[in-house]
Amino acid sequence: MTALIEVTAPPALEPSRRTWRRFLQHRMGLVGAAMLLVALVVAVFAPLIAPYDPYESVRVNILDIYQKPSAAHLLGTDDGGKDVLSSLIYGARVSLVVGFAAAAIALVIGGLIGIVAGYRGGWVGSLLMRITDFFLVIPDLALQIVLVAIIGPSLGTIIVVIGALGWTTTARLVRSQTLTVRERKYVMRARAIGAGDAHILRRHILPAVLPLMLANMVLVISLAILSESTLAFLGLGDPTVISWGQMLNFAFGRGAVSAGAWWALLPPGFAIVWVVLGTTLLGTALEDALNPRLKRHHLEAPGGDVARDRPVLDIPPPALDVAAPILRVRELAVEFDSPDGPLRAVDGISFDLRRGETLGLVGESGCGKTTTVLGILRLLPPGGRIVGGQVWFDGEDLLSLDGRDLRAFRWTRLSLVFQGAMNAMNPVRTIGDQIAEAIRLHAPDTSKAEANRRAGELLERVGIGRRRANEYPHTYSGGMRQRAMIALALACEPDVIIADEPTTALDVMIQAQILELLGGIARDFGMGIILVTHDLGVVAQVCDRVVVMYGGGLAEENEAAPLFATPQHPYTQQLLLSFPDLAHPDRPLRGIPGSPPRLDAMPPGCRFAPRCPYVFDRCHVERPPEYPTAVGGRATCFLLDPDEETRR
Amino acid sequence: MSEPLLQVQDLVKEFPGRRSLLDWLRRRPARPVRALDGVSFQLRAGEVIALVGESGCGKTTTGNLLMGLLPPSGGRVVLDGQEVGRLSRRGLQRLRRSAQMVFQDPYESLNPRMTVGDIVAEPLQVHGVGGSRAGVRERVEAALTSAGMTPVSAYLKRYPYELSGGQRQRVVIAAALALEPALLIADEPVSMLDVSIRAEILNLLGALAKQRGIAVVMITHDLSTVAAYADRIAVMYLGRIVEHGPTRQVLANPRHPYAQALLSVVPIPDPAARRRPVILGGETPDPSRIPSGCRFHPRCPLAFDRCPIVDPPLFPVGPDHQAACLLVENG
Repeated sequence: MTALIEVTAPPALEPSRRTWRRFLQHRMGLVGAAMLLVALVVAVFAPLIAPYDPYESVRVNILDIYQKPSAAHLLGTDDGGKDVLSSLIYGARVSLVVGFAAAAIALVIGGLIGIVAGYRGGWVGSLLMRITDFFLVIPDLALQIVLVAIIGPSLGTIIVVIGALGWTTTARLVRSQTLTVRERKYVMRARAIGAGDAHILRRHILPAVLPLMLANMVLVISLAILSESTLAFLGLGDPTVISWGQMLNFAFGRGAVSAGAWWALLPPGFAIVWVVLGTTLLGTALEDALNPRLKRHHLEAPGGDVARDRPVLDIPPPALDVAAPILRVRELAVEFDSPDGPLRAVDGISFDLRRGETLGLVGESGCGKTTTVLGILRLLPPGGRIVGGQVWFDGEDLLSLDGRDLRAFRWTRLSLVFQGAMNAMNPVRTIGDQIAEAIRLHAPDTSKAEANRRAGELLERVGIGRRRANEYPHTYSGGMRQRAMIALALACEPDVIIADEPTTALDVMIQAQILELLGGIARDFGMGIILVTHDLGVVAQVCDRVVVMYGGGLAEENEAAPLFATPQHPYTQQLLLSFPDLAHPDRPLRGIPGSPPRLDAMPPGCRFAPRCPYVFDRCHVERPPEYPTAVGGRATCFLLDPDEETRR
Repeated sequence: MSEPLLQVQDLVKEFPGRRSLLDWLRRRPARPVRALDGVSFQLRAGEVIALVGESGCGKTTTGNLLMGLLPPSGGRVVLDGQEVGRLSRRGLQRLRRSAQMVFQDPYESLNPRMTVGDIVAEPLQVHGVGGSRAGVRERVEAALTSAGMTPVSAYLKRYPYELSGGQRQRVVIAAALALEPALLIADEPVSMLDVSIRAEILNLLGALAKQRGIAVVMITHDLSTVAAYADRIAVMYLGRIVEHGPTRQVLANPRHPYAQALLSVVPIPDPAARRRPVILGGETPDPSRIPSGCRFHPRCPLAFDRCPIVDPPLFPVGPDHQAACLLVENG
């Protein structure tokens, strides 16, 4: 037997290659890189390109001053009679040297401060960050001018001053990244291995921080170039070198404006804009590519929960009678957008829910159980949409309701209780207030006092007690929040409650309390409950009927008793064997080899085929439809095909 | 009988409490949080003990103290003849070679920028074990093979995001095995994994204990997952072990009312066996306000007049089986 049959997935891109691809998608980044490259080439090959050597001392001939552009001097001459084009070309050297050198200094200082502040934390970290804040608020330019004026304007001074003042953004960026990485579980694991600080910094922190620093460096370069030009323009440049800022300074100071010599003014200005724009474009693109959180998000379609081009199925609306299921889901299909095209997360699931019935929707991660209920409620996250099927609720087609009717429907007839109960509560309003509001939303005629009284009753019903109605959500423990969430769901007396993993994050004792509560509610109020869970034990304890999902589709459905006693689908059988049972603690557990299929690599035939012990040829090519089982349910497995037996 | 590999004696851990503004105004002192209040047990090589309890019972703190990640406030942990809390920096480094940890979340506990081979080699490099490149590689391959990641060559160059949850947890286990530890501490090793994957990871940990003589401390809230793998179970409540004994005995005949209740609420995947669970009211009290006498008495369905006064020690209730309840004082 092969140890692990892995579902073959298309080779995913490595992180670095993914970053590269994101960068390439950024056209402006490429433009920026090209602009910077031009400047670099010009700077490096200045002696070859420039028609004259601007550093060569020549006697100034009065006739040479401010000559118009001509064949001999393409950009004319300046106040000293020198070729503007040549000065411009040589000026690129100074700008870039200052830019790179100053950015390197800033990066070293900022990186060091950021890493120490982030990694050490405590008072050292606070002190370093206060210093950073101090440098951040003092105006850079003013301090640069003062410092350069005091120390004396040489190229070295300018580089050091710009670098020593330009590290603040880097420090803050590096600190926050270090802080996040330091708290990661894999850093904790490294510590438990016995790794010291040096190892953790080298192997875990630096690799995570360096790419960000690189992107940040490009932006610091552009700032440094701008600072140098400004200083030089103000007459604080190194008098022995030619830079763009200095060209501007001389042109302004020595009558270029009155002489109408635009060629002495515009080219250096243009050169500064060129380089600064190029580096900024490149730096922004790099940051974007390395920090995906900045991008995406708003690019995706906003909440596409309604399927406009949903194919209309030819299912007649169900007849209205009391015994009819309150909720009928037919062939529901949901897709999610992905960079490689839409992915089918739910692929045609059908089931019914009757009043007073508790239905378990079970499966492992990625089987589509949560997506199914979010689809029913039309609360799919951005990028998800319903692409087929119908949902009938008490004779109404839920998928064709418009926004306003849908909202009314959600709370008043169909309520959701989900896992992260804290997020569903407003933290600045009391629990009782929020429940009373829900009641009044449902029945606007209710007086405020009456709503408050009923809110107290509901809290009593879920075992919290009305005296805690005036408390805020943060004073509630996890179990109590889940109870409050159930009270909130009950406030509008819905016909159906959908509970998505309502007990997953809770302790077993609290879980038992909540399950008992849900069971009591189903009994007392005659509501239908859909319980979405991965826990077969929970299902066995509270559910009347069970739908087992696998890979986005139905595996098996049946009443709870026969489903657990005589499972028909091989997946159900295997899942039960891998679930621990305290009633038989000595039974060895058998896991299912392999793992659940990924949405982007769904097997073409039966979705369970790669892990199924009974797999045969047909399973790999054909997707099994639903077959009725001998014990009253239905299951999607060719072993249940009556023709299959005769065929063999 | 040989000396136990791990001896935990009367372990206590207090965390400084937080004072609220109101406390400060009223000049009330900070209330320390007693996360562990006298925990003792022993573990021999090849044995698996499960520390079971709800959140706040102190099971994770125990794991951190065993690893020397936190210093104890009282009591001692002796691993292989060495006292963990008293070790120098260098001694701790050596300890880390003999005690390794498997964490709960395999999605978070692997560095996404490192390959499987680098991740498993990391502990070897940290401790300078394995010698040459070839030596390290050999150990990495052996560890991955032990963790069931075969064929090894197919995984060495992979990144974590290319692996499933179960495979990631195997990589975490392989990294822990690379140093050939004597003790593995597994903190909720399967709670983040899919049900169909859990059994394989648990089987792997069980096999490591039985075949290679590694002692395993399994920390979990889920009694059912450890039933088949643990030799002994220690049920914890508010920083104490309240019942301790061989797995089979504790499951079949729990003596402490808390253990009885905890056992009764574990869901059983069989609708025909719907039991009458003993559902305790309320929640575990705040460990900065431990109740007087028996710490369980405010929630105990069987509490009587002596319970709020007498703090019961562990009484023997069977061979190797103890419970801390006045009802079993006389066995």
